[in-house]
Amino acid sequence: MIGFAALALLAGVLVSLSRQINGRLALSTSAWESSFWNHVVGLGFITLAALVFGGLFAGAPQDAPWWAYLGGPVGVVFIAAGSWLIARIGAAQTALLIIAGQMISGVMIDIIMGTAGNTLARIAGVALILAGMWVARSAKD
Amino acid sequence: MSNPVPAPRLLHFTAAFGAGSLLSLMVLFNGTLATYGSLLFASWVPHLTGTALAIVILLALRPRRAGISHPPLWAYLGGVVGGVTVMLTSATMNTALALSGTIALGLAGQMLFSLFADIRGLFGLPQRMPKARDYLALALIIAGSLVLIFLGGAA
Repeated sequence: MIGFAALALLAGVLVSLSRQINGRLALSTSAWESSFWNHVVGLGFITLAALVFGGLFAGAPQDAPWWAYLGGPVGVVFIAAGSWLIARIGAAQTALLIIAGQMISGVMIDIIMGTAGNTLARIAGVALILAGMWVARSAKD
Repeated sequence: MSNPVPAPRLLHFTAAFGAGSLLSLMVLFNGTLATYGSLLFASWVPHLTGTALAIVILLALRPRRAGISHPPLWAYLGGVVGGVTVMLTSATMNTALALSGTIALGLAGQMLFSLFADIRGLFGLPQRMPKARDYLALALIIAGSLVLIFLGGAA
């Protein structure tokens, strides 16, 4: 259990690490080019992993709805945005504001998709996050 | 040489919040793909289509290279770190941690390492010292996230 908790923690560290590395690349190139390299190098790495582990086409991916295939294009913009932001507002502010956006839009998606949830907790959670964003925003430069 | 963290401007603010919303869509799209195909497939396909779109964007916009100096070779390895992250996450999701625990610990790891990197100025990025205000914003946003992760689901 503690081992898995450490792995989950490490996964978060790696999210930040990857954004910093991409951000450093964008400093010498551009945010779009950094996003390109992130995707092409990641593609090579995952292809290698698929060759080693096998099972890439397991299951029935052809039955997935068409929109499930749109994650890649969205990811290109997401990685470029992270690379652009991290050099300008720092790793912590970038991570914090992305988390805020992810959490609040996640609640909106859940409501649109009709996913059951605790309304009171959703209101409290979103209110806390909005308060945090207001604090981050309210300081004078 | 350490500067205080400047308050994010409205443009940065909007971009980061918008990026977070894109991340929600990615999780929805890639997660749906993973329920039909393998986890590797659900990571391989977006990298493939993403590479294709990135090439189109580079050809269309031809963004200027910022520096004359070449970036260090390790700066090209962000994609490898991203690939390892996918594998780690898929390894912990189906344990006693469940999805909510995996996400919460992931947020913690992300914030702790981001603060550490800012304070030390790691990887050639600007060094920044967070102020009391930044820690208050951090506490509020993480508290709200934990409420959503652990209490926001169906009772």
